[in-house]
Amino acid sequence: MERAVNSKTKNKLKFSNIFYRICLWAYAILSFYPIVWMIFYSFKNNDEIFVSNPFGPPTTLRLENYFKALTQYNVPKYFLNSVVVSICTVALTILLATMFAYATARMKWKGQNVARIFVSIGMFIPVQSILIPLAILVRDLNLSNRYLSLIVPYTAFNLAFSSMVLYGFLRSIPIELEEAACIDGAGIFTTFSKIIVPNLKPAISTLIIFTFLQAWNEFPIALILITEESMKTLPLGLLFFQGQFTTDWGAMGAAMAIASLPTVIMYVFFSNQVEKALTIGGAVKG
Amino acid sequence: MQKFFSNKKAIAIFVLPSLILFIVVVFYPLIQIFIKSFYEWNGLSKGTFIALENYTRLFEDSTFETSIKNGLIFATFLTIYQIGLGTILAFAASNIKTKTGGFFRIVYFLPVVLSVTVVCQLWLSVFNAEYGLLNKLFEILGIDFSQDWLSDRNNAIFVVAFVNAWQYLGYQFALILAGIKSIPTHYYEAAQIDGASPLQAHLKITIPMLAETYRFCLVLAITGGLNAFTQMFIMTNGGPGTSTYTLTYMMYSSAFRAGEYGYGMASASFLVIQCLIATIVINKLIARERIVY
Repeated sequence: MERAVNSKTKNKLKFSNIFYRICLWAYAILSFYPIVWMIFYSFKNNDEIFVSNPFGPPTTLRLENYFKALTQYNVPKYFLNSVVVSICTVALTILLATMFAYATARMKWKGQNVARIFVSIGMFIPVQSILIPLAILVRDLNLSNRYLSLIVPYTAFNLAFSSMVLYGFLRSIPIELEEAACIDGAGIFTTFSKIIVPNLKPAISTLIIFTFLQAWNEFPIALILITEESMKTLPLGLLFFQGQFTTDWGAMGAAMAIASLPTVIMYVFFSNQVEKALTIGGAVKG
Repeated sequence: MQKFFSNKKAIAIFVLPSLILFIVVVFYPLIQIFIKSFYEWNGLSKGTFIALENYTRLFEDSTFETSIKNGLIFATFLTIYQIGLGTILAFAASNIKTKTGGFFRIVYFLPVVLSVTVVCQLWLSVFNAEYGLLNKLFEILGIDFSQDWLSDRNNAIFVVAFVNAWQYLGYQFALILAGIKSIPTHYYEAAQIDGASPLQAHLKITIPMLAETYRFCLVLAITGGLNAFTQMFIMTNGGPGTSTYTLTYMMYSSAFRAGEYGYGMASASFLVIQCLIATIVINKLIARERIVY
């Protein structure tokens, strides 16, 4: 009797396992095939893309598409701009947010709660809504078409979320750590950089990923503030391929593949860290 | 100790850079939006005060209605696709205990690390009426469903929303999966002993335990939908006609195309209010209490 029940639940388990696998594989195809398809057509000529072989891998690797994308267009330049802007945004955001969170979570001063809540307003304001005043501000300060004109607003907008996460994390660090440092005669800055920051590492690595992805994919602010070709970030620079290449899908695909490759490789290598970071992000926020 | 923590100089150094940056780049422009929405203003001159005229004009503008409706469609679509589908897939991935779990995570997350422009243009070529992957697929399968996907006034918004949902599903999937993994396994062992099926266990244990995660995911999906801009800018230019306008798009085109900054600010102030309401409602609906294991 007991055995019969057992085998029945086992069958049920097996069935649900198969069902789960089908779901996972089906979505994997939807998620992955369009990207593979783009890589495929980046090696094809128009005849192959449109008529003879729209779905499968290319019959011959037409590297001239890649050559064209690299030499005629500024893909490497856009990429560099994106890297500079994203990395500077991450560095500045983490630096400012850590200091701000520490001062509001630990130190004693009038208005510390007011300051914290005030900055956290930033989390609920969509970046897009302040585009117009921001454009005018940047114009009046004569800052258009510089790296700073992107880094500063990106940092300001990431500040709220980052300092909220760090604030939550700091509250969970025992205060005895600092007391011990204080008794040993360390000053506040030494304590902060030698004791607090290393303890915040898990939260900081989460924020690096969050902030980097935000900056990397930011579009509206860059669209409004950057007009010069040499200052464009990837999202902006690649935009104009659609018009230029409408008949040349191969080169368009090649340009997009070149632009995507470095981040994809980076992600595949660091995917474990990304997951770990997201787990912590999920636990800390709020 | 008291002295240690109330070092005035240190506090100033820690707090002032962030506060100043926040006030100048976020808070001051935010105030500007509300003030200038009462002006007729071309961005250069001082502008003339016209009280509520921008707002009355908004309510009479049929594009405004379309924009609000599209924002809601976009947000609903993202929620159903990313959180609904993301939850099912995360359940599935947490249930199969093999190495392939990591494989799916990587594959689902890949679109997130692509540039948003790449994703939009990739899908433009998939949806291309003449040569696109989708229509070719229907052709091969012999299904008469080929169409010009982005030029249909009623459907274009769904196509555009799908592209955004597709790109960021992996993000929500990873968040939900991370949430599931943080639930202690003895809960499930207990459920199994009591004879619960994996599905029952998920419905009775996982979903309630994930309240915090869902709150965060919902805020991301809904505010993301209400703010949508990039996808329509790249894929449809707000068209056909004005059928894929959103509030952000409307603001953009009034200010930077028509030069009506005051009118654009009125749309912007609606955007802010809409997102605030959405966030407050989500926080009210999903209780704030933290679950302690």
